Amino acid sequence: MSLRLQPVQVATGSNDAESQLVFEDGFLVAVLVHLSDEHEGDAGKWYLEAGFGRVDSPDPPKFADLNEAQAWINQRLS
Amino acid sequence: MFEDPFLRKFEFAGNLSEDERTALQLLTLTRRPVPARRDIAESETGDRVYLVMSGFACRYKTLSGGNRRIVSFVLPGDLCYMHDSGAFARDLRVGTLTQCSVVDIPRARLEELIGLHPGISRAIWWVTLRELSRAREWIVNDTRPADRRLAHILCELFVCLRGIGMADEHGFDLPVSQTDLADALGISAVHINRVVQALRTRGRISWSNDRVTIPDVQGLKAFAEFDPAYLCLDGFGP
Amino acid sequence: MLPPAGRVKATLVSASSSDLIPLVRKLESITQLTGEERQALESLPAAIRLMQPRQDIVRDKDRPEHCCLVLSGWTYRYKLLSEGKRQILSFHPPGDLPDLQSLHLHVMDHNLATLTACRLAFIPHEAFRDLTNRFPGLGAALWRDTLVDAAIFREWMTGIGRRTAFGRIAHLFCEMYLKLHSVGLATSHRCELPFTQVDIGDALGLSNVHVNRVLQEMRGKGLITLQGSRLVIVDWGALSEAGEFDPTYLHLRAGETA
Repeated sequence: MSLRLQPVQVATGSNDAESQLVFEDGFLVAVLVHLSDEHEGDAGKWYLEAGFGRVDSPDPPKFADLNEAQAWINQRLS
Repeated sequence: MFEDPFLRKFEFAGNLSEDERTALQLLTLTRRPVPARRDIAESETGDRVYLVMSGFACRYKTLSGGNRRIVSFVLPGDLCYMHDSGAFARDLRVGTLTQCSVVDIPRARLEELIGLHPGISRAIWWVTLRELSRAREWIVNDTRPADRRLAHILCELFVCLRGIGMADEHGFDLPVSQTDLADALGISAVHINRVVQALRTRGRISWSNDRVTIPDVQGLKAFAEFDPAYLCLDGFGP
Repeated sequence: MLPPAGRVKATLVSASSSDLIPLVRKLESITQLTGEERQALESLPAAIRLMQPRQDIVRDKDRPEHCCLVLSGWTYRYKLLSEGKRQILSFHPPGDLPDLQSLHLHVMDHNLATLTACRLAFIPHEAFRDLTNRFPGLGAALWRDTLVDAAIFREWMTGIGRRTAFGRIAHLFCEMYLKLHSVGLATSHRCELPFTQVDIGDALGLSNVHVNRVLQEMRGKGLITLQGSRLVIVDWGALSEAGEFDPTYLHLRAGETA
């Protein structure tokens, strides 16, 4: 399954702004936010800010990079 | 005599007789240390009630996938596992957040004291109903935005710790992690970090070296819509 | 003194000895009663009232002098929040004493209202106190019931913070079915749940849009059927697994679990 990313800025109310919309077949399935220096050990990771449908999670994960995030999202969708 | 957080808490429900105070003090003579991050229950049969005499603990439930929700903090003087009926393997647990000192009270002994002493019976009802009213308030708190929700929990901790002499005018020691607070608020670790930063930036709190300072207590209470009535610190009310 | 007539738009009916049987059944679901205790419960003085749906029985800041026992129909507790939002705190089927705590905590900190048309018994606090003095075993049973009440709140809280919408609704359905089953009001995984989707949303912190989607999904997966207020749990195993439902917290006596 192929996902498409689209860079955006998200108003999270914090320094975390750089983000990616994640689409599958034209459908928005997730919003990933790049964590700023405020998060110390987690700084630089990608955080599942929002997931839709099967990608929704009550315990949103963090990913080392966008590849890992996409692999996880693909798994939820399959 | 008032250093005893257990007696101090019970006296919020009304005065205890000398006999009642003595009976309660005798209950707490033997304590055992429990290291941080352990469950305080030792027995799986439900024949004991546990009393935390020092340290911070919490009631929590872990769902599959390791997702934890803390449903209340347990502070010195708090009784735990009162409603336990035995095989509770997957029921709510009580775990320490810091090292704690814990008293094991045989359930039968507590029930005997409730039967013998009206003051103790009244205090146990008070403790029970206060927990109930606190649980309701936490459900309501879950509807507030995360920054107010955190402020509300800090106000609650402040008032409860003040009640047992563990907070001064402007703050208290809070030796728990941000993850613990996230689980108490029902939000993610990333989200709690943003919320703590936001409260700091606006000067509502500072939090460093396990110490929370609240420069403007009234201001924080107003921001959190915090009304201490649910903590029933006036006993059973007028 | 009965609750003011203006608040409780109700018809007063006198109690007969068999009226309070739901209370006996309820307490028997969590403890064993002696013949004497049963009799004492059944002969409690009570004023019976019939009430229309969606009426407040007791309001935030009231100082009730009676405990309300649900004889038939459903009641619920709620709190009004800023911006007109409503948080439902609990649903109460027949046999429940939703404001038992008013015995000890004199000022209400939330509202109690009817969900459906209800038949309610109002039992004077004095009579309850007298009863628990004469029968400490009943006092202990009521205390236990109160502890279970707190445990139910904590389960809800776990749900609101940490379960998916699907898991929360699944958990609610399992809990309600078992509560009804324990007092003999449901069997074979079928029960009446007269909640609207808005009620469910206000209880579990979800929008009614979200609730609607989840109910469709549950139907689609063959876990439940829901026609009007008639709920059939077609696949109890799958539904309780989805909600990670463990009935331990209800502390029902052995044999009361599904």
